[in-house]
Amino acid sequence: MTRTLTYYPGCSSQASAVHLDKSLRAIMGPLGVALRDIDDWNCCGASVGHIEGGHLANSALSARNLANAKSAGPEDVVTPCAACYLNTHYVNESIRGSEQLKGELNEALGVVGKSYDGSLHVRHICEMLVTDIGMDAVKAQVKKPLTGLKVAGYVGCQTVRPFANTERANKFDSYDDPTFLDDFTKACGAEALDFKMRTHCCGGSVSVMSPDKGLHLIKELLDEVQKLGADVISTPCPLCQTNVEMYQPEINKRFGTNFNIPVVFYSQLMAVAFGLDPVKDAGLDQNIIKSDKLLSK
Amino acid sequence: MNAISPTPKRAYDLNFARYVYENIDGGERLRMCMQCGACSGSCPIGQQMDHGPRKLFMMIRAGMKEAVLTSNTIWNCVSCYNCVVRCPRKVPITYILHDLAYLAVQEGYEPAKKADNARFAKAFWWSAAKYGRTDERLVTGIYYFSFGIGEGMKRGMANQKIAMNMIKTKRMHLGMPHAIKAKDELQKILAKATEIQARHGKGA
Repeated sequence: MTRTLTYYPGCSSQASAVHLDKSLRAIMGPLGVALRDIDDWNCCGASVGHIEGGHLANSALSARNLANAKSAGPEDVVTPCAACYLNTHYVNESIRGSEQLKGELNEALGVVGKSYDGSLHVRHICEMLVTDIGMDAVKAQVKKPLTGLKVAGYVGCQTVRPFANTERANKFDSYDDPTFLDDFTKACGAEALDFKMRTHCCGGSVSVMSPDKGLHLIKELLDEVQKLGADVISTPCPLCQTNVEMYQPEINKRFGTNFNIPVVFYSQLMAVAFGLDPVKDAGLDQNIIKSDKLLSK
Repeated sequence: MNAISPTPKRAYDLNFARYVYENIDGGERLRMCMQCGACSGSCPIGQQMDHGPRKLFMMIRAGMKEAVLTSNTIWNCVSCYNCVVRCPRKVPITYILHDLAYLAVQEGYEPAKKADNARFAKAFWWSAAKYGRTDERLVTGIYYFSFGIGEGMKRGMANQKIAMNMIKTKRMHLGMPHAIKAKDELQKILAKATEIQARHGKGA
């Protein structure tokens, strides 16, 4: 049976993380999920929108998305992006918890005849994979197990913070020591390394705007990954993937290291393991550092 | 300068702390801070801050408005929420730092014009509000050139290889920015939300 969910791809799906969007859409069919995009979705404001726009205006970005999602149906809203999840979930929960905020956001939406009642459930797509689909169903789709591939699972911050293990996140995993990503790796038949720094921060947008402040954080992650002898790093977060991958040459220059470690999305691993096309479906040609081991599967 | 929050008239003037408790998102929880320092100790970038969140919160209580709103603490937050999940008093620290940054922008403090995060936020919000989408290429470019033409060129050149890699892997969007269909609609919603913020005395 196919289940339909409302999908919020987020801005990175059209640029730095197209390969996340592509590989996710490819694996959802086999997993029995139909993704219906939020009509005319807009940016969530990420980690900086509030600074210039202010709390209410920034929240209004998510309120419009939620209003559009609700008018299409009561299905849960899922998103693969850490920032989109954080903002949309936070605004949704805040609307549910505060009549004042609900009133003010509806006053803003009302200008264009829209409204939102706080009745939807906003979920990270990884939580949906764990709770609704389950690892047995993922394993059942594996046609080419990734045997022998050593994977360091890098969860990052915002996928599990601050909502991990709360009721409204379906008690999904922990914010300090999450295991879902390693479960994904194992379901694909690969080896999950014991990567202790899985929730250490990559610097987020600070690494993008001020590399001097953030690159040492990424270097520490890569040191540990190299020590473990990983073939690839797997991550759910668009910004983690970009930061940890694109800065490796610059880190090598600054710190005298020799990193050249592929950073892929868990959904790319799944796509390959499901026997889908490594390029057309998994988008592995869109990783800057190519994983030959995965491409040759 | 455009004072929105009360400016202390003497040492240990509590009016600024009251403003933060009442007007900053999550600010009311700040009353519960017991100065344990779990936040500052958990911060991946704390060493690059003038003051960790713990000290900043004590400064708020001491009415040190100007020192708070000119500290680089509010501009260096990486939004990892490590402090939020570890705080034993459930103070939503990251959210408070975000809102203090907005207050510093609204009140026109110098660091709020010059900080990297403030410049980046300006470029980001411009794209989000104008197109309804973030154009990573434009936001980064506008951010680089906010430092001046010379510095913008320098930063662009320094990141040329990264940009080429992103283009080669079709991860940098070229051509017209992606935009939502109902740009008008979004802008009307944002204008109204901004008007409500101003009504609350939070600046525009």
